[in-house]
Amino acid sequence: MLPGRNFVAATAIVALTIWTGCNSSTSSTGEGSSATGTKRVILLTNGADPFWDAMFVGMQDAQRDFKLADAGLQTKMEVNDGTPKGQIDRLRQFANQTDIAAVAVSVTDSKNPAIARAMEECQQAGIKIIAIDSDVDRTMNRAARFAYLGTDNVIGGQELGKAAAAIRPDGGKYATFVGLKGAANAIERISGFGEGAGAKFAQVENLGDDMDLSTAQKNVRDALDRHPDLTTLVGIWAYNADAIVRVAKERGIRDKSTIVVFDAAPKAVAHLSEGNIDAMVVQNPYEMGYLGTRLMKALVEDDHATIHDLYPSYNDETKKFDESNPDGDILTTGLRVVHPDSGSPLKKEAFAETTEFISLSDFKKWLADHNLTGS
Amino acid sequence: MNSSAGESTSLLRRIAGQHSNELGLLVAILAVVAATTIFSDAYREKPLQNAQEILRQTSLLGVFALGAAIVIISGGIDLSSGSVIAFSGAICASIMLALAPHDASGAPDTNNLGLGIIAVAIAGTLLVGFLIGTLHAWLITVVGLPPFVATLASLVGLRSLARVMVQEVTTVLMPTGRTTQIYIYDNAFNALGTRWWIPLVIFLVLSVACWVLLSRTVVGRHLYAMGGNENAARLSGIRTDHLKWLAYCLGAMTSSIAGILYMAEVGTAYPAVQGLGYELNAIAAAVVGGCSLQGGVGTIGGTMLGVVFLRVVIDAVAKLVKVGADEYQGIIVGVLVVLAVAFNELRRAGGGLRKQFFPGVLGLLAIGILSVLGGSVTTMMFGRSAGAIVFVGAIVVLAARKLAEYRASRRASQAVSS
Repeated sequence: MLPGRNFVAATAIVALTIWTGCNSSTSSTGEGSSATGTKRVILLTNGADPFWDAMFVGMQDAQRDFKLADAGLQTKMEVNDGTPKGQIDRLRQFANQTDIAAVAVSVTDSKNPAIARAMEECQQAGIKIIAIDSDVDRTMNRAARFAYLGTDNVIGGQELGKAAAAIRPDGGKYATFVGLKGAANAIERISGFGEGAGAKFAQVENLGDDMDLSTAQKNVRDALDRHPDLTTLVGIWAYNADAIVRVAKERGIRDKSTIVVFDAAPKAVAHLSEGNIDAMVVQNPYEMGYLGTRLMKALVEDDHATIHDLYPSYNDETKKFDESNPDGDILTTGLRVVHPDSGSPLKKEAFAETTEFISLSDFKKWLADHNLTGS
Repeated sequence: MNSSAGESTSLLRRIAGQHSNELGLLVAILAVVAATTIFSDAYREKPLQNAQEILRQTSLLGVFALGAAIVIISGGIDLSSGSVIAFSGAICASIMLALAPHDASGAPDTNNLGLGIIAVAIAGTLLVGFLIGTLHAWLITVVGLPPFVATLASLVGLRSLARVMVQEVTTVLMPTGRTTQIYIYDNAFNALGTRWWIPLVIFLVLSVACWVLLSRTVVGRHLYAMGGNENAARLSGIRTDHLKWLAYCLGAMTSSIAGILYMAEVGTAYPAVQGLGYELNAIAAAVVGGCSLQGGVGTIGGTMLGVVFLRVVIDAVAKLVKVGADEYQGIIVGVLVVLAVAFNELRRAGGGLRKQFFPGVLGLLAIGILSVLGGSVTTMMFGRSAGAIVFVGAIVVLAARKLAEYRASRRASQAVSS
């Protein structure tokens, strides 16, 4: 007997198990795309975070409201590992599959040429591609996606900067904490924060943690160690809020620090409730997921009227964006400034008219209405 | 005529016996590809694209798996591959950034570097690879560190050094100041990693060179001898220190080549995450390909097939599991490594029941653990019904194996006592 036979037999068992399992999973849920002929509409995240769960809830609600099942489509979420290479590999895998209709990508690194190339490969394979939450570099890689849908991160940053300026009118030194410093949304928010906060504020640190939660806390400790006069701590990505608050508590510096953060991660909402965060600028990932799914369905079905409805500068007859409006392919979803229920110096007048100014209680009610724990 | 036919059969049997691991892997690869083709539309509708992508991924992993295999065959271990990949990518990008022409704003323009700059950057990176290998050899042969410790230090240290270096380089060279990444936009350079056939050609050329070294030269025979028994090799006059220098340089330089290719593939030197954990993939490929971690055993052909097998299985999982497939890759690779080593042990013992996997109470507990593990993993992947089938099936199959081992052991004891 060939000893190699054992290995072949084992492999056959593994392969058979995978196949059996796939089929059993398909038949038990009735959702398997290969068995039913449905195609996938995928949200490809930049990493793992509860933020994406809220977006996927929006996608699932849109799946129901816009009857994606009738169109032979179903929504799925693919969680990237936080690296550009991970996103490239996933996009290439998508391009080589046959049951993917559209992908919404939160671009891990806006300037990375290989991510843009992989997005273009997907388009060449007939897959509709949009950027969501974080866009490609618009001067270099605009054609890599059909359009962008998400927060205007510069304005978001400005609003957070205005909040910091209102809480600390005398200004001071601030540090920004983020996952990936190269991500477009990070660059734009940080730049916007400086503009919104004004000349009285000076940035002394901008630290990236590569999406490692332990490093996120270490970065806050390091910044405080290096700059004892650091007064304003700015969380740029959702989980940075928790890292900042934990270290602030650990060091006993909450009373003399201003903590302002992006996104309402479940822990951040709890911290705001306990008075450990001064203000949150909150995106609306639910709305992104909802509108993104509507857009992807319209793209798959060549429903140009719906695309025009979402992007007014899109001409549904010429099937092109109006060239006189260079940012016509950007759909901005809403921003909210969430403030504590009492004792906050923040006033609605300080923020843009389009930004919703909302108390923590009202925000929590909105979360509950949408069955969300964060946003 | 009969005598000639008998000789042919005997020759075939001998070849099959000598290359049983490679033949087993080849059949396993064909089985996985066939199963994926049957159960997924992707291989049937896009055969060319999928073949090209698998070959590209195989080549990128294969390049440094060859180096890992040579180190393992020589009796050592190199844990630094992933960090050498990150460090080499950072070195290559830094050289290109330093030599790049400047655009109108005074910033280095990496869009059109020219072949001269690319060649200098690649040569510089390979030199750095050679120096890393030399450092490993010095730490192991002169300082006396175990290979595990010496390369563990590089695993931790080189990535950290690369991260700092990129920030320092961009502080000096970029008008925009310090960044954690260096972008290279030159299409000719990026083609090294994105055109599927270029990594493949590099992998095949390196494979042939490594095969010639190991199978057709005295140095190769000495590497096997050293891996099998270092003391015996040294006492018979083989200069083992020089051989280790060669092995670790080959390990580091193949990782450097992989670092250049991976950096070209993504167009970015990003040492914080580039090549993270890749050293284990290379070691897994070598082990699945038949290399023994005790040294002295393994082939280049087996390693190549090991790499192909791993990539084919990973791609099959991606095609069949659909969403979140990468989360299961670790499980699949882990299972395959254990199976490969277990069956190699079985082969060395002579096959059948000569090797006891489940003796005594330890064996009973192992049956329970393996069945629960298999059932749990399958449940998480495919649901409760599939998990229950695997759990019960594993208990039945493994218990049957234990029973057969027990009977064989009894028979052997009786034969000895009579």
